[in-house]
Amino acid sequence: MIVTTNLSKKYNAVEVLNINSLDIPKGQSFGLVGNNGAGKTTYFSLLLDLIQPTTGQIKNNNVLVHESEDWKPFTSAFIDESFLIGYLTAEEYFYFIGELRGQNKSDVDALVAQFEDFFHGEILNQKKYLRDLSKGNQKKAGIVAALIGNPEVIILDEPFANLDPTTQIRLKAIIKDLAEKKGVTVLISSHDLLHVTDVCERIVVLEKGKIVKDLITSKETLKELEAHFSGVEVE
Amino acid sequence: MIKQFIRLEWKQFFRASYFQKGLAIKILLILAALYFGGIAIFMGIGLFFILKKAIPDVDPIVSANNFLIYWFLFEMLIRYFMQQLPVMNVKPLMTIPIKRNTVIHYLLGKTTLSFFNFLSVFLFLPFSIVLLIKGYPILNVALWFLAIICLTLSINYLNFLVNKSNTVFYIIVVVLFAAIGLEYYGIYALSEPIGVAFNTLYNNPFLIVVPMALLVTLYYLNFKYIKSGFYLDDAVSKKVKEVNATDLSWMNRFGSIAPFLKNDMKLIWRNARPKQVMMMSFLFLFYGLIFYTQEVYREMPAMLAFASMFVTGGFLMTFGQLVPSWDSEYYKMLMSQNIPYRKYLESKWYLMVVAVAISFVLSTPYLYFGWEIFGMIAAGALFNIGLNSFITLFGGALNRVPIELNVKAKAFSNTNGFNPTQMLIALPKFLLPMGLFYIPYKLINFEAGLIVLAFSGVLGIIFKGFFLSKIEQVYQTGKYKTIAAFGEKK
Repeated sequence: MIVTTNLSKKYNAVEVLNINSLDIPKGQSFGLVGNNGAGKTTYFSLLLDLIQPTTGQIKNNNVLVHESEDWKPFTSAFIDESFLIGYLTAEEYFYFIGELRGQNKSDVDALVAQFEDFFHGEILNQKKYLRDLSKGNQKKAGIVAALIGNPEVIILDEPFANLDPTTQIRLKAIIKDLAEKKGVTVLISSHDLLHVTDVCERIVVLEKGKIVKDLITSKETLKELEAHFSGVEVE
Repeated sequence: MIKQFIRLEWKQFFRASYFQKGLAIKILLILAALYFGGIAIFMGIGLFFILKKAIPDVDPIVSANNFLIYWFLFEMLIRYFMQQLPVMNVKPLMTIPIKRNTVIHYLLGKTTLSFFNFLSVFLFLPFSIVLLIKGYPILNVALWFLAIICLTLSINYLNFLVNKSNTVFYIIVVVLFAAIGLEYYGIYALSEPIGVAFNTLYNNPFLIVVPMALLVTLYYLNFKYIKSGFYLDDAVSKKVKEVNATDLSWMNRFGSIAPFLKNDMKLIWRNARPKQVMMMSFLFLFYGLIFYTQEVYREMPAMLAFASMFVTGGFLMTFGQLVPSWDSEYYKMLMSQNIPYRKYLESKWYLMVVAVAISFVLSTPYLYFGWEIFGMIAAGALFNIGLNSFITLFGGALNRVPIELNVKAKAFSNTNGFNPTQMLIALPKFLLPMGLFYIPYKLINFEAGLIVLAFSGVLGIIFKGFFLSKIEQVYQTGKYKTIAAFGEKK
């Protein structure tokens, strides 16, 4: 589904990302971990054509991301709060995104209704603008908005950060369900090793812009990751 | 402690993004400050003589006192729109062991350094000096000047309180207009009793205690208010308001541009900055009054064409020049969504067209000045719709300054949308209507000028598709730059 080749990004001669080859098949739940500055957000930004690659390319479902815009209809993302329109209520925001993605009001209502649990009564009918919601609640709204319009690729940057424990658990269920049952390719990044190993079938570790580990999740994965990040390499 | 604060302030000033912007902007800003400061000083020096000449049989200090109230009301209005209250900077200090009172005193004290306070000093200090030279009693003049400064500072603090309540603001506006109206038509000169009060103040220097008491009271009120909710940003930013969502589904009839139009309506109604722009653009409606009432300009039709364009073009220019910037807070999202630029631009264009149409309807009272003037306004409106809108959108596309939507623009520290490119792109907006009107006017006659100006607008509407694709291209090529610029922290 997503094929990355020879991709690199430099800011003033400082290389922040360099991925030789990365192939994410359709329906995979893919996790990206790494310390601050490892290049996770850079990679996602390149995937969304928000920044220009220095070299190389990403193909999303055979569409060259930085040349064509045809990847947009089947791709959606929530990177940070700048994806929200602060002066709208959550409902208005969902409808707006829905309209952009060719969904009518009742489609959106039907989809959003499935996430009542996830919202925990703090998003809908609040009579509050998104900018007045807490960080965590903003995140909930943003994540659900990314699910509108049956996207085939969903990109979530640090979806677990700022969420309360209950919501984290519910989010995990949602992501698993998307990948397993609906065949959606889900890309997430996280600092929380436990969550990623729980949710993702495959985990890639980035370090200073380079892939240093590419693991298919198993029972040992968490241990291996913990060892890696604590600096004690187990062979 | 205060020393630390001042050191912080110093760094904040010199490291602020607006300070590190291009040299041209800095020079322009300094020039603007010098210009207004200079005007105030010259006014101050000249005021005595002007008053003496205009109202020869009244002592200039008495006339000055009579008009003082208007100055203060004017100052209040300007401050309301332009003065930003320094609050957020204190946030990181709140968790540090510093006495609350110190922080609050410092914060309130800092506002005395606002440019607006100096405007009064610039105006009244030279005036007082002239008075002294002319042999007015030192004690009276000095204390009168002090009283003025006290009142200026009182307004400074009053503005703090007013900013939290729209009601107070509207009361001031109504009072100001009513007073001017009553005075103008000679029904009741409100300035008289107030003038008498100021004169009494001048004649009895000990009455300085009154403005002083006022200042202390207002300072105390502010102090108490801030202290009661020490979360300073809460104090000034509006309380979380309940949303009363309006149903805009009737706009769906606009088809594919409807989602954007609906969004833009909400953008304008729900955010401080665009609201401010809308208020300002309303003032443009009165622009004609300056030009049409003066005989001098009657002889200069090119200037009239310019003014007529302004009458209906206020919103178009103030809102339009910041077009992608309005969406800067969530531009990344828009760019990753399935959005055709064309629709996005078209919706902004329709918004501007509607604004011109509304301004045009509101400008019908200008019929008072005759059909010729009104014809010019109509031609100007057509020009605005057909050509100016595209020029403005084009200029906006080159303007990559992020905007904080729910924060009012500050005077002299907010350079949003104020850059050399913007200045350059502004030139055709002014020169084009003047030229389009003036050349045929000179060559043929007045009507020809009108027709050409109006026809240029019609042409623009006919070639709308062409212009929009050109602007679209600018957007496409500048995409990454724009995203990066909008993502910058302010």
